[in-house]
Amino acid sequence: MAEQMTRDVINEIRGTKTVPGVCMICPWHCPTESYVKNGKVEYVRGNEFAVNSTSRCVKGISSIHSSRDSDRLLYPMKRNSLGVHERISWDDALTQIAARLKANKEAYGPESLVYLWHLDSNEMFTHQLFGHLYGTPNLSGHGAACDQDRRLAAVATFAHPLPVKDYANSRFVMLWGADPFGPNEALHENRELLEAMKKGCRLVVVDPNRSRTAEKAHLWLPIKPGTDGALALAIAHRIIETKSHDQAFCDEWVHGFSEFAEHVLSNGYTPEWAEAITGISRETIIAVADEFATTKPALMDGLKGLVNYTTGLDALRTVFALNVITGNIDGPGNLILKELAPIDMPVDIPEEAITTTEQLPLYESMGYPLAQDLPTQLLPKAVLDGDPYPVKSLFFHICNPAQSDPNTRLFEKMMAAVDLSVTIDIYMSETAQLSEFVLPESSTYERAEVRESLWAGPQVVFAQPAIEPLGESKPLYEIMKGLAEKMGYGEYFQWDSWEDWARKQTAFLPVSFEELKEKGVWEGELRYHKFKTDGGLATPSGKFEIYSTMFEEMGYNPLPVFTEEHRVKPDAEYPFQLINCKMQYHCGTHTQNNPYLMAIAGENWVELNTRDARRLGIADGDRVEVSSPLASATIVAKVSEAVQPGVARVPHGHGFGRRFGSLARGKGTHINPLFETRVNPISGGISFNECKVNIRKI
Amino acid sequence: MSQYGFYFDKEKCVGCRACEVACQVWNDAVQTVKWRNVSGVSRGTYPEVTGVNASLACMHCAESPCKKACPRQAISKNEDSGGVTVDQSRCVGCMLCLWACPFGAPQMGVKGRMEKCTFCDERPVGKIKRACEEICPQQAIVSGRIEDLVLRSKQVVAERLSYDKQAEVILGHEEK
Repeated sequence: MAEQMTRDVINEIRGTKTVPGVCMICPWHCPTESYVKNGKVEYVRGNEFAVNSTSRCVKGISSIHSSRDSDRLLYPMKRNSLGVHERISWDDALTQIAARLKANKEAYGPESLVYLWHLDSNEMFTHQLFGHLYGTPNLSGHGAACDQDRRLAAVATFAHPLPVKDYANSRFVMLWGADPFGPNEALHENRELLEAMKKGCRLVVVDPNRSRTAEKAHLWLPIKPGTDGALALAIAHRIIETKSHDQAFCDEWVHGFSEFAEHVLSNGYTPEWAEAITGISRETIIAVADEFATTKPALMDGLKGLVNYTTGLDALRTVFALNVITGNIDGPGNLILKELAPIDMPVDIPEEAITTTEQLPLYESMGYPLAQDLPTQLLPKAVLDGDPYPVKSLFFHICNPAQSDPNTRLFEKMMAAVDLSVTIDIYMSETAQLSEFVLPESSTYERAEVRESLWAGPQVVFAQPAIEPLGESKPLYEIMKGLAEKMGYGEYFQWDSWEDWARKQTAFLPVSFEELKEKGVWEGELRYHKFKTDGGLATPSGKFEIYSTMFEEMGYNPLPVFTEEHRVKPDAEYPFQLINCKMQYHCGTHTQNNPYLMAIAGENWVELNTRDARRLGIADGDRVEVSSPLASATIVAKVSEAVQPGVARVPHGHGFGRRFGSLARGKGTHINPLFETRVNPISGGISFNECKVNIRKI
Repeated sequence: MSQYGFYFDKEKCVGCRACEVACQVWNDAVQTVKWRNVSGVSRGTYPEVTGVNASLACMHCAESPCKKACPRQAISKNEDSGGVTVDQSRCVGCMLCLWACPFGAPQMGVKGRMEKCTFCDERPVGKIKRACEEICPQQAIVSGRIEDLVLRSKQVVAERLSYDKQAEVILGHEEK
């Protein structure tokens, strides 16, 4: 490159070396750069060759601390008979785990192993070892506690699990229960949306609370919690009634438009009907519907504010249907059905070595055949009662359900009963404490990874180790290789260094290995309207299904409805709806030991509207007791005008009130014991916000 | 002498504080001493609420009140960038600079001396961005020569108006 890159200027100033990496704070996996000197990470920022450029979010830049945190797990441990974890060698740990896995497979079948992860970092190795060779169908991400409903709605409508957004070219954006400017989604998306707004793009936000995104919106619809589905159906009603949908597109590319139209019109989903349910006036609904239908290109999307209710799945199906009937799909400025880069598997497993089991995956046997991830809250039933079949071995990879799932007590009971439990993490966690084996993983600064990132086009991030692993910690690929050797599968995991498998994984990319290594990212072409050129969609009908064949075949309603039959609404005894939301300054349960982030937000709180607080005699900063029918917790109150009266908002239910980490320990309040395990009856996704509480000053 | 400064776009800032932390990480500063600080203000009652976020550091004023206030001549202006810095070996921590500063920029450091934004004095001006500017996901912070920044702000407004359908516009994105 003739022009000097800004990374070179920084290296000149500080005497450092740039190592491309990937951010492991949240699932958007932004490409990064680490600046290293004498085995220490001195500075981090975004990758200037990637679409996010040099930017990082606050959690991303703060994560530099995990490369030097003295609280990191440094050696493998095993729980002794007194329940205390003691140091053991890697060889002992892997030998014992392998032997137990073998015994459990012989006695109960390979499906008795369940492996859960949060961010799918290096999980391709897991799929090859535990999926292909060992043969369990039960490898799953954290979707049930996250975007399960969105993923299912997207698969049903588009046959694509993760539609992303092309804000840059959009003229009208409507976000439902999504707060990209708050807890962040992909950084380039945020920047593109704000740039688009400067060029006249309109932003409408549907959220009971004034989120960071609602702050920026041209129009904020402060909807009653959990009623988004009614609003979406009313918008569909208005669009179809006024015939402002794209009829030509529907004729060619939409399956079941007439059924959908008939359903919406004949069931009385009018703006008047929705006004009574949602609290949004009829006039506003009509105005938004008309603007959405006539402004092109446009996009609508929703996230956790919807999926946290039992009404979320059908709300999202309706939101996606609205994109489809107006012809706003996979074009510039629309929701994009992201194309994946051709990344190969890291090792080759010959066909004859692959084990298959006759047992169905747990989610199917549990009665959730359409679930995209394992409904983890039902796992205790499998472990404790052997229903639908026995689960004997549990693996947790950088996930902490003891903090992040509802009904913590039940989870603890399950962990006491299970035969083999292994936690692989970079920090000691509450789940690790309940596990028999604890294996230390290297942080993202100490390991390699080849992975897809979430830009709208195909995008590969090639992360490389910036520093040596801390203590005896190992990258996941080395842990899997070690286990494979002990389990008798060593022949398939042959490599001398990570570059061997990384070379194989990237062989199909139209870029040399050396260039990829230097830049750390490859971005392909962002193609639009792929369904027109690539022979339709992968749905059963080959078209966009707003009348879902998949749902119909499984005996569910193929059309989205609005029903509150599974809702938990406030009543006289418990007058507040408890809303669990993300915090801008923390993510998951692994950022609470970070001094930068703890200096910004050192604890979580319950946010109440000023009117409610005044009535209850609660002042800002008071300690209050929040109690649900299941449990109660003490927490600091924050009084604001950003939350709806009748709503109690707790940012980040699962990150605070931790037992581990010298900084994190004891700060804030763990709110999840208050939630009962209520799930969406079709997707199996956890509906955290279906929770009513009472609040009193203490 | 050139005078550099910061341009800040309140319509883009979402209050994420990445700038605060980038500043601390690059300058190896203590987490609780903030050379750059993000604050948010909101008013009104639900749901009629308006608000704004602001990320503020030292403005590196051409006529610096802090420099005039300092009894120890510890504060000086950089010849190339106009950046205002504190000489830690001269400072006695009397805090008169903080009292004089209209933005509250100088901060009491853990060693009892004043600390403040140095305009990333290691980073050559005109060549690369400041740490806060480089990290900002929304690119709400832009550094540059004051003349260029003034020009930029006019261009940003002109561009915004060029996309507006209405004949008359009230600047600022809040609409009734």
